[in-house]
Amino acid sequence: MAGNIIKEITDGIYNLILGLAVTFKHLFKHAITLQYPTERWEMPERSRGTIVLLSDPETGRLNCTACLLCSKACPVAAISIERIKNPDTKKFEPQSFNIDTTICCYCGLCEQACNFTAIKLTGKYEFSASDKSKLLYDMGFLQEIGRDVKYEKREKTAAKKKAVAKAETGEDVGGAPVADAKAESSPGSGEAKKED
Amino acid sequence: MLELNVIFEAVHRWLEGILPQGLVTLISALGTGGIVLAFLSILALFLVWWERKVSAHMQQRLGPMRTGWHGVLQTIADGVKLVQKEDLIPSTADRPVYFWAPVICFVAAFMAYLVIPFGRGLIVQDLNIGILYIIAITTFTVVSLLMAGWGSNNKWALLGGMRSAAQIVSYEVPLTLSILGAVMLAETLSMVGIVQSQAGGFWNWLIFRQPIGFIVYYIAATAEANRTPFDIPEAEQELVAGFNVEYSGMKFAMFFLAEFVNMFTISAIAVTLFFGGWNAPHPIFNFVPSWIWFMGKSLVSVFILMWFRWTYPRIRVDQLMGFAWKFLLPLAFLNIILTGLGVLIFRN
Repeated sequence: MAGNIIKEITDGIYNLILGLAVTFKHLFKHAITLQYPTERWEMPERSRGTIVLLSDPETGRLNCTACLLCSKACPVAAISIERIKNPDTKKFEPQSFNIDTTICCYCGLCEQACNFTAIKLTGKYEFSASDKSKLLYDMGFLQEIGRDVKYEKREKTAAKKKAVAKAETGEDVGGAPVADAKAESSPGSGEAKKED
Repeated sequence: MLELNVIFEAVHRWLEGILPQGLVTLISALGTGGIVLAFLSILALFLVWWERKVSAHMQQRLGPMRTGWHGVLQTIADGVKLVQKEDLIPSTADRPVYFWAPVICFVAAFMAYLVIPFGRGLIVQDLNIGILYIIAITTFTVVSLLMAGWGSNNKWALLGGMRSAAQIVSYEVPLTLSILGAVMLAETLSMVGIVQSQAGGFWNWLIFRQPIGFIVYYIAATAEANRTPFDIPEAEQELVAGFNVEYSGMKFAMFFLAEFVNMFTISAIAVTLFFGGWNAPHPIFNFVPSWIWFMGKSLVSVFILMWFRWTYPRIRVDQLMGFAWKFLLPLAFLNIILTGLGVLIFRN
């Protein structure tokens, strides 16, 4: 009985000192805090953040061919596209491309559906807004935030491979954004979004 | 060399030369009070910041980083915020009791510094009953906590106040008894006398003759200052914030300030009684000013209190009372008996 009490007391004191040793050791460990606005996590390459529209770095034109596959793949119908046929090339081009990010669930199905590497979910995440209407992204804004996104074009045919090789060599030359005919078709809205 | 009392004495002599005696007494009394008050305010600001940094790094966080170098100005920013806050008084509060509680709490914490020797000759008033005076004056804290709990007319505040009364009254007993051993060896109640009796080197410090007394004192003093693991009066999970739940603005700041001042007080008493006060550990270190030794030792003690807080979980109310009455009190009595026997055998 008496031995038990003594053992309890010595155990108690030992554990008290052990606890102090643990906290003292942690005092000199490196803090894991990341001071957010000045330091940031490096986002993983495949992270599913804000959606952007990718454009050709050489011509500055959108990769989008207005095939509507992404809007069909979207489970919440966040993507709405209007398209027109270019009378010169006889190809479809998007006239307006709107993504409602308030209902977007960031599933990435649009990216998987796209055959032309035109839409991509990126690691960008700082797009909070105080007004809900600012979360409806139009084509000009989506293209603007996608300009610095690095991507690899999906390779399908030998001809396309050649085009990609050409685009990559000319990348550092064609950095300046070329005024886009489609971006101009939604006047003003692109500039308004940039302020966010 | 860099002893601060030289400055004060010079100022006092200069005042005596140009002013009548009564005015000098008045000015020196007000001036000393003001200096101590300013010192304590700055000290509390520093201690709050330090506690936040220590707790943060023990939890591998950074703590305040944005205001000034590593957030040193954070407490000032918090203080400015508290001053701006509305001074809310609950409609059903007992107004005079509610109003005076933080004042008494702060004044009690502040009054203890009348007899704390910061360095050689650096004491406001060397009362010959110094340590008894400190024990008496710091007990006023319990009155203020009870007043805060009662005056708020809030059940959590009242519970916190009652708990703190029970706790502080219980721990007052072993605290006082543990100090008795040191007083018996020093053969004086004066703080300066106790420090002088430990002069000459660290082997003369009372910690080596009073280890039990020191342990009992330190545990009981931690409970007196309402620090974790004995922070029953403000147990956040049970009582929201305890006795100060209804307080806001400057009144809350006064409670907060008093808490940190009390923490320094118990460290200062521990240093004075058991660690030789302003004395250097060895006579060869006497070139370092005495007030630096005192502050250094006290701040180490404060750090240990913070270390306790961020290591140990809070104990239950019944464990708390049982520990005081069943463990600390017999230990304190044992310490007195052993000290008495030692004095009887070795002094005669």
